[in-house]
Amino acid sequence: MIDLEKIGREMPYKMPDHFIENLTDRVLAEIKPVKKKKNPVFIYLAAAASAAAMVLLLLNPFNIGSMRIPDYENISECKSIDEVFQTMSSDDLGIYSIMTNFYGESTL
Amino acid sequence: MSRAEFDISVTDDTIAEMLCSDSRVEQAIRLIMKKYGEPLYWHIRRMVVVHDDAEDALQETMMNIYKYRNTYSNDFPLSSWLYKIATNESLKLLKNRANSLQSADDLGDSLKNSVSAESDPDADRTLVLLQEAIALLPIKQKTVFNLRYYDEKSYEEIHLITGDSIGTLKTNYHYAVNKIKEYITEHSLL
Repeated sequence: MIDLEKIGREMPYKMPDHFIENLTDRVLAEIKPVKKKKNPVFIYLAAAASAAAMVLLLLNPFNIGSMRIPDYENISECKSIDEVFQTMSSDDLGIYSIMTNFYGESTL
Repeated sequence: MSRAEFDISVTDDTIAEMLCSDSRVEQAIRLIMKKYGEPLYWHIRRMVVVHDDAEDALQETMMNIYKYRNTYSNDFPLSSWLYKIATNESLKLLKNRANSLQSADDLGDSLKNSVSAESDPDADRTLVLLQEAIALLPIKQKTVFNLRYYDEKSYEEIHLITGDSIGTLKTNYHYAVNKIKEYITEHSLL
């Protein structure tokens, strides 16, 4: 009867040279992107916030940059309501007209 | 790179500790490949026979080690955990191969044919016959035979790897040895 111990544990196959080293590099290369992958929800939120900020900057709905503080010192020195209107900028007049349309002239 | 990265004498406990640390996991993978890459490759190769399949299964084993590293418990020896994952990957591959065949019973013959194709032309005839005999074994007998004969694992370790009871493992090993001896005797005479 055959004695397995006499046959031994050698394999009739070969392992390619540097196989383990090459596979190690491949495994590590595959692991790295997984490791650095961020939660997709945060990626979408960040992208949406950036897009919203860009839209706001382009449309400039609050007319940022051209805004100015009303010249209250001059207003207080005005003798008549006509003079007050003369000191108001076109933006201030626009706001005034919207408010009078909404609340009525007498309340302002 | 630290000196420990290429120090093969690093203990399994240290590797396991590194594996669970995000900053040292790559180092742990390198160490596992350095220390266990070859034994795991041969374990898988003996199961699936074809080198390309063994390569895929070992790569998948390493990816699973990385993916499930946080589920590893120190109560389990690291080597048994690694062998368990490698064995599962090998069995998964064999199952896929069996599914691609007309009958699951054809798997043994298919693997036996691969042994001849994969063997070195100068390899000893008895070594080839031994691999053919192993290829024809049922999966459970093949697994316990390989782990016991080639990897010299104890039945307790094989129990941790396969989940089979020690009694079942001893019976399967006994059957496997008898079938292998019969096959080699029969084919050596031809």
